[in-house]
Amino acid sequence: MARREWLVGWESRLLILITAILVAFGLASIYSASSTLIEKGRVVGTTLVLDQLLGALAGGLLLLLAARIDLERVKALAWPIVLVTGGMLLLLVLPFTHAIAPRINGSRRWLQLGVSVQVSEIAKLAIIIWTAMLCAKKGTEVRRLRRGLLPVLTVVAPLALLLIIQPDLSSALEIGLLAMVVLFAAGARIGHFILLGVLATPVVWQRIEDAQYQLLRMTTFLDPGADRLGAGYQVDQSLIGLGAGKLFGVGFGQGQQKLGFLPYPYSDFIFGTIGEEWGFLGVVFLTVLYTLFVLVALRLARAAGDPFRQYLAAGLTVMIGVDAFTHMGVGLGILPTTGLVLPFVSYGRSSLVVALIATGLLINVGTRRRAKVA
Amino acid sequence: MPKLPSRITLIAAGFVAAALAVVARAAYVQLYQGSYWRTRAAEQQTTLVSLPARRGALFDRNGVPLALSQETFGVGVAPKQVRDRALVADRLAGVLGRPREEMRHLLAGDKVWNEWPGPFQWTQVAPLKGLRGVYLSRRLERYYPKLDFGARIVGRVDPRGRGASGLERALDSLLAGHAGAAVMLRDRNGRTYPSPSRPVAEPQPGADVTLTIDADLQEIAERALAEAVRQTRAQGGDVVILQPATGEVLALATVRTGARGAGLVGDAFEPGSTAKVFTAATLLRDGKARATDTVFAENGSYRIGDRVIHDVHPSGLLTLADVIRVSSNIGIAKFGSRLSNVELFEGFRDFGFGTATGVDLPAESPGRLRSPRGWTDVSAASIAMGYEVAVTPLQLAAAYAALADGGLLLEPQLVREVRSADGAVLSRAAPRPVRRAVPPEVASQVVHMMVGVVEEGTAKRAALGTYNLAGKTGTAKQNVGGHYLEGHYWASFVGLFPAEDPQLVLVVKIDDPQGAYFGGTTAAPVVRTILEAAIATPAVALDRARLTRRRAPDTVPDDAPAPPAAEGSAPVVVAWPPPRGAPDSAASPPHAVPDVAGQGLRAAARILHRGGFEVRVEGWGRAVSTTPAAGVLARPGSTVVVHAEQRDAP
Repeated sequence: MARREWLVGWESRLLILITAILVAFGLASIYSASSTLIEKGRVVGTTLVLDQLLGALAGGLLLLLAARIDLERVKALAWPIVLVTGGMLLLLVLPFTHAIAPRINGSRRWLQLGVSVQVSEIAKLAIIIWTAMLCAKKGTEVRRLRRGLLPVLTVVAPLALLLIIQPDLSSALEIGLLAMVVLFAAGARIGHFILLGVLATPVVWQRIEDAQYQLLRMTTFLDPGADRLGAGYQVDQSLIGLGAGKLFGVGFGQGQQKLGFLPYPYSDFIFGTIGEEWGFLGVVFLTVLYTLFVLVALRLARAAGDPFRQYLAAGLTVMIGVDAFTHMGVGLGILPTTGLVLPFVSYGRSSLVVALIATGLLINVGTRRRAKVA
Repeated sequence: MPKLPSRITLIAAGFVAAALAVVARAAYVQLYQGSYWRTRAAEQQTTLVSLPARRGALFDRNGVPLALSQETFGVGVAPKQVRDRALVADRLAGVLGRPREEMRHLLAGDKVWNEWPGPFQWTQVAPLKGLRGVYLSRRLERYYPKLDFGARIVGRVDPRGRGASGLERALDSLLAGHAGAAVMLRDRNGRTYPSPSRPVAEPQPGADVTLTIDADLQEIAERALAEAVRQTRAQGGDVVILQPATGEVLALATVRTGARGAGLVGDAFEPGSTAKVFTAATLLRDGKARATDTVFAENGSYRIGDRVIHDVHPSGLLTLADVIRVSSNIGIAKFGSRLSNVELFEGFRDFGFGTATGVDLPAESPGRLRSPRGWTDVSAASIAMGYEVAVTPLQLAAAYAALADGGLLLEPQLVREVRSADGAVLSRAAPRPVRRAVPPEVASQVVHMMVGVVEEGTAKRAALGTYNLAGKTGTAKQNVGGHYLEGHYWASFVGLFPAEDPQLVLVVKIDDPQGAYFGGTTAAPVVRTILEAAIATPAVALDRARLTRRRAPDTVPDDAPAPPAAEGSAPVVVAWPPPRGAPDSAASPPHAVPDVAGQGLRAAARILHRGGFEVRVEGWGRAVSTTPAAGVLARPGSTVVVHAEQRDAP
């Protein structure tokens, strides 16, 4: 029986360290942001942070699992994974499934399967695995429109459509973006992306105009101060929090924007809470951690031996990086309000678990296995 | 795959660019714009809460509270926040005194907010404290324990709790204290949280003010005045009672039937004959006349320039003392002509006429005393008689007090003591001399003349059986807008009690009495009523040891009715306390104890005193019975015990 020797490089160790720091920092920030909140007539207290801790423990186990799983088997399961994900997304939009897919805050994003699962987070992971698998299989043929972009679109488009129906436009855009990034990493022609962008613009714009609230989210970033109590309110509040933090912040737990001013101070706008309490230094700290994470993960991608691992690592890295920087950009008022969470940090067990699995897969990519003959 | 590394490098470059953008933007927002956002944050996150200061209390000179600030509470309920509806409904029902069912229904209803403004006392609302969804709002409310008492002097506060009238307004800066302020954290829903890190300015409670007013005397004065105004069908009236030795105001009562008139210190009137004593005092001071000098009073009609002046009681030869006693216009005009205009002016001015007294009441009128340059040929004669000069009742009282106190004019005072909330004395009133108006011997001469007024002059109706009273009547045609109104008078009487070493100066002024309009018939009896009641009330600030009881009266006052009169009739003179051991006392026949059941204790005591009985009271409240019982014959001078409703001390 062949025994394997696990060679965990410094990159992987660094990734784990960064992940651990971010998760711990996230737990502290969630506690700070949510402990004084009153929801449904009761003080949240430690409810959210304990939820998140549970997610972190489960995610940690899954991380270890993902780090050791045979990636060839993952590659082989790419089609089932994407199909199951598609099925779950379908469940969310079917008219008779409200029992397990209730409408929360105007959209149906969570599937109640004992634990509540945000399917769009899984969809991100699934689409990366699947696209990486496809690109690895096609090799250089991805440069051809009909062998590269079009097959990817035939799978991504239905999934994105299901997400749009929820409605969850930003997740739809994100899985599209992730598929494109994997395709881009695999060497697809730049021209295809330009063409796709031109074709997609009217579709996306049409959709935006249909969903009025999305439109507001998209446009308020242009002039945050213009409409303080309307759509610009959230961005304005986020900027008040961040700006009030100045260089050193007002101190951990001392932030007040979480007292009803900032919406979702523990998830969608946790960056505002952190910026208020930790100041510019906290922002720089987070930015450095995420940048390090992305660069180290991309280094693993570059060093990976086979194409599937490369594409997978690139896709997962971009998933985490895009989420992180988009979230920060939204909080700083330079991107439209999307409702993206800050990976590892924001409250939300689905996203935390998915991010931890992604980290596990990245470590997996960075781990060499040498078969030792017993 | 030669191109692949470069694509990953491109992605990495993209993220580095994104990171730099984030850091640059954060630096701009947090460092460059930081102060702006922090200001915005403070604007919405904090709120300055005013902590109201307790308003100081007003007490009378004996510590009887006249105005108090109390903490009261209002109750608000947000049914949606209530968890234990049954418990909250029970407690609410108890506190509000409403049926429990109603409360249950309310808590189950759709209304988001219910409020009961109260005011509730803390002991009432204490069970509601700490219940979810129940909010207690604290207020400081002003109470006037004696509701109708001295409303015009004490005044009232406006809805914001600042003094609006009377002493509440005049003393506002002392009473109000300083509101504190606290910076509270505030969430988006307006809930506030105490902030341990932000400064709090503690409220500084206002000072408690003890007035010179004597609540008992004030009440006596108000009742007597109201009764007199009613009986004479007058437009109104004023009473001022001063303590001449200190200038302290013991009572200030005012009644106005119409809306007209600013009252006590705002309304100046022409005093008429009550001002004649100041002409006499000036004559004596300047050595222009002696009390025994005589003039011919022209038998009641005398022409000065183009004016003819008349006397009510035509006379022949009169001494200066006689002129005061019979209040001869002609006499005082003739005596007054011995003074130059400037001397007369200075004499009046030195008694404080034409100058506001400086008492702590808002809107005080200085009265009117024109300088001699503006006088006409007849001005001197008019002023000598008390016309062409206007005074407020308080000025008049202060001027008389100067005569009563050896010629020293004192500033009238309403504030006896100011104490901070923790009890430290901030200021204590001391007599504030304005100037010496006349030498002591002149003052005592003039007071002596005024004894004659009450004994055998125009104010016999003010005479008390037992004590000597000095006084002066005045009846002046009302002067409105420079024209004298026929048939409308100001009737006044000033009494100095007792005549020897006076302890009280009483000014009574009746506006436009109907029927008998003379000061001697309308105002003088009010003084007697007040004094009778005051002497019968132990709490009234009189130095009883110094009251020298009148020896056997030389002459019985001709209109003093001897038998006790029924309550409710015109005030009558009674000898009280009955001259114990006086020869006629033991000899006077026993008579029936009057029925005082149902009367207030003071009224009961007064009725019994009139009957010549000593009174002892047991209990408090209203009189129920007496020992000996009503109708039983008892000897005047014997003690009647009044049994009141409540047996125990309150």
